[in-house]
Amino acid sequence: MSDENQVETADLIEPVELEGSNVKKDPKDLIKQLEEEGDIAADYLEGLLDIADLDGDIDIDVENDRAALAITSPTDSAGGLNHLVGERGQVLDSLQELTRLAVQTSLGTRSRLMLDIENFRGDKKSRLTKLANEVANEVKTKGEAIKLEPMNAFERKVIHDTIQTLGLTSESEGEEPDRCVVVLPQ
Amino acid sequence: MIDEALEHLVKGIVDNPDDVEISEKNHRRGTTLEVRVNPEDIGKVIGRNGRTARALRTVVSALAGESVRVDLIEADEVR
Repeated sequence: MSDENQVETADLIEPVELEGSNVKKDPKDLIKQLEEEGDIAADYLEGLLDIADLDGDIDIDVENDRAALAITSPTDSAGGLNHLVGERGQVLDSLQELTRLAVQTSLGTRSRLMLDIENFRGDKKSRLTKLANEVANEVKTKGEAIKLEPMNAFERKVIHDTIQTLGLTSESEGEEPDRCVVVLPQ
Repeated sequence: MIDEALEHLVKGIVDNPDDVEISEKNHRRGTTLEVRVNPEDIGKVIGRNGRTARALRTVVSALAGESVRVDLIEADEVR
């Protein structure tokens, strides 16, 4: 059980064998590669926005050893880009998947880039961080483990990461789509 | 627009982008987009358990604002 966190930290969406090239590379090379991933991904997404005649600013960054791209509409007019997020982020997840494949096709290595649109993941992340803090407090006071609602891989990772910074441990149990985080007392 | 968008999405994820051809068919029950790709790329555009095909459909339907059918075909099939 204890190494399950490791798997999720290594990859959110699906278990992927770690690429030797990524692991052994010196950090500067890794950042360079991630920046290259970001550029290719941005070209792919920008091309799509152009064709669809949609306005969006694409921000490229490197976060937690992944390329991170965020698209936001410059003004909030006409609903912005929310249709590219979709219900429960379904369209966003699909677009992220395709963008990863575009990077993989271009560079020949698997990408774990994260895409956000209209800060959908960002907002979700801050809600989850808050939840993790509340649960951690409760676990500390009561000294009992608490099991959370089923969550997807992204959500579980946010919880695990937050719990870790609070000095507690957590693990995931159950099978998708009912997989849940359990926060453990010291 | 929607055929161009699909063409862009597919061309970016295949090894033989020049072989990608899209044809649009409108019928009473909606739009079908036929995508022809090099036989080498058919596995790529379908993906494991149809995951990539599903992603293409989801994004294209979101852009179109309606459900769009996407058929993936190997380019050397008889037309």
